[in-house]
Amino acid sequence: MGYESWEIHDEFRAVAGDLLAKHPDADVRMLAQAGWLGLEAPEGVGGAGATFREVAIVAEEMGRAVACGGYFGGAVLGAGTLISLQSNTFRDLLLKDLVSGAVKIAVAVSADHESFDGTAPFALSQTAGGLRLDGRSVFVPDAAGAGRLLLLANDPAGTPVIVDVASDAAGLAITEQPVVDGTRDFAAVSADDVSVAKSSVWPFDGDPGLHVQRLLDRAAVAVACDSLGVAEAMLSATVSYAGVRHQFGRPIGSFQAVKHACADMLVRISVARPLVRTAVDAVAEGGPEVSATASMAKSYACGAAVKIAGKAMQLHGGIGYTWESGIHAYLKRAALNRCLFGSPAAHRKRLAQRYFEAKQDEEQ
Amino acid sequence: MTPTGEADEFRAAVKAWCAQHIPPDWRQSQTDVSDDEFVSFQKWWFQELRGAGFAVPHWPSEWGGGMSVAEQIILYQELAAHDAPRLVLAFVGIHHAAATLLAAGTEEQRRRHLPAIIDGEIWVQGFSEPEAGSDLASLRTSALRDGECYRVNGQKLWASGGMHADWCLLLARTDPHAPKRKGISYFLLDMRSDGVDVRPIRNAIGNSHFCEIFLTDVKIPAANLVGAENAGWRVAQETLSAERGLTMLELAERLGHGGFRWLVEACREARLIEDASVQDRLARFETEITGLRGMCRDLVERSSAGTAGAADASIVKLFYSELLQRLTDFGVEIGGLAAHTQLTKPASSGWESGSWVLDFIGSWEWTIPGGSSEIQRSIIGERGLGLPREPAAL
Repeated sequence: MGYESWEIHDEFRAVAGDLLAKHPDADVRMLAQAGWLGLEAPEGVGGAGATFREVAIVAEEMGRAVACGGYFGGAVLGAGTLISLQSNTFRDLLLKDLVSGAVKIAVAVSADHESFDGTAPFALSQTAGGLRLDGRSVFVPDAAGAGRLLLLANDPAGTPVIVDVASDAAGLAITEQPVVDGTRDFAAVSADDVSVAKSSVWPFDGDPGLHVQRLLDRAAVAVACDSLGVAEAMLSATVSYAGVRHQFGRPIGSFQAVKHACADMLVRISVARPLVRTAVDAVAEGGPEVSATASMAKSYACGAAVKIAGKAMQLHGGIGYTWESGIHAYLKRAALNRCLFGSPAAHRKRLAQRYFEAKQDEEQ
Repeated sequence: MTPTGEADEFRAAVKAWCAQHIPPDWRQSQTDVSDDEFVSFQKWWFQELRGAGFAVPHWPSEWGGGMSVAEQIILYQELAAHDAPRLVLAFVGIHHAAATLLAAGTEEQRRRHLPAIIDGEIWVQGFSEPEAGSDLASLRTSALRDGECYRVNGQKLWASGGMHADWCLLLARTDPHAPKRKGISYFLLDMRSDGVDVRPIRNAIGNSHFCEIFLTDVKIPAANLVGAENAGWRVAQETLSAERGLTMLELAERLGHGGFRWLVEACREARLIEDASVQDRLARFETEITGLRGMCRDLVERSSAGTAGAADASIVKLFYSELLQRLTDFGVEIGGLAAHTQLTKPASSGWESGSWVLDFIGSWEWTIPGGSSEIQRSIIGERGLGLPREPAAL
């Protein structure tokens, strides 16, 4: 509560932006102090009882600041996963620890975090010695250094559940996967005959398939928000630069070739904004349109961000290609975002499935 | 914001009205019609809308409008969803002329024209000239004060629907010595005045909707000046962007309903719907159209709240124009040679009639007039982003 009105949203965004501009290397503790890991968590566990809308605002600001620090694993996936589960003592305790920053959490919801068909990367089997977990997932966001891992697994009956595993459990291996985008942490997580207590197997609160799809959709939308922040930062940097950099005796921004390129950046951002906002609202409210709006936002905003960051590098000229300018960090992040939780092509393929349905007379 | 229940009720009422009043066969009956038939169909349709209170919903209530922004959005969505005929002839009157009169007209001018527009008075815009296209402010048509009148001489170009117009929104130079934007005045010109000669120009798709207007010693009463003498440029700028939100919303909704649906249909007919690259392009278009519709709704809401950005209308216009062009281009590609055999499109249809080749060629009517895409990009760069202006020739 208390986050409803737009003025409060603007203020929240401004505060988040300021904080991240000062501390782009914010760690889990700082994120917890800011209250961002518990935005969606109920007030009873120390959370803000807010919605995905607020989560999305911080995600966008994270992109704008090319910040790292476990927000994606903690707030987007961690809190999102935990609140989609049936309440139990252990879940509630973990949620509390997540919110306070006492424990860093990572979630594996896909075998590669690129595909989003909902297939569980892990499987539980019942043996004489109890439940055992096997499976592997790569590019798990923020898994390196996490204390607890929430792994999407099929239980022995084939029902998707979340398995809570400590990072030092026997048989569990977490291997860092360095990527060119230095602002992101990924690791491969594999489970080889990991012993699991029954109390660590947590069922979803409702249709498990639907919950898994919602988790993947919210992840895709959060990445779209991140990319929107990246794109806006790049446009703003380029416009500032084009206004002060002089060549041929005038600011380069007065040349049509440069000005029109900047205009195209703004047009792309202007199209991305309503798509992202609609998807954020859909995730926050649920409903049948979540996947379609998520696919539109993800494919458009993440595609646009690469084009915009690339154009920013181009318009900054030689300086834009230097490490020092920092533009490379945005371009790399935009390029990574584009495939994280589904490439534009994959999302458009999902959208196109709807065209097969006989006649789409949505209004009749 | 209208509460959801009221909005649903209003939407249901509009749906019901559409189902009853939109002639199901209008596309067929309006194909290959004469100019007179087109005009009478347009006038009839406008009066149908008027009967329901849908003709000028965006006007203030004292002039016959007064619909909330939320309801206007619903209205245009439903008209598009039900493939209603487009208001072609009434367009300039209900949007540009009304916005101008409401913003800058005298009470007398409003009383004379606003009710007449609802009764069917047709307006045309007389802005561009042979030597004043993108550089509109360099227009040369002169208006010299002569007692209680202005005497006007010059030539206007690209006046859409000029041969059917009763009145013209005219920009003319009243001070040849002032800097070019400071010497222009805004007039209401009665097209029946002596010295007005309208000649149709055949456009690229073969019809003659555009006109040249020759003005030879035309007398305009001084009472028909809108705003102050030499303040015409500002009046034109303000009123042009003021009306852009709703008109663009309607076009975006039409693109989202008929336009996209026919495109999917064309892909099915061509047996290409299972082709992965075709699916990819369709999904791209659907995404872009959805983004456009969102932008248009925002623009309407922000315009009515007075919080629209200086370049918001240009962003929408530019994106719509180029999206329309790409989408119709794709329709042509998918339609194959068969699409080239469609030699006409229904009168009163939109820019996305499904006659792909004509739609595609016609899309340049969006990327060129009303500020070409190049001009829009400069506006977006300068007014939207604050980039430095091009050093202009004086």
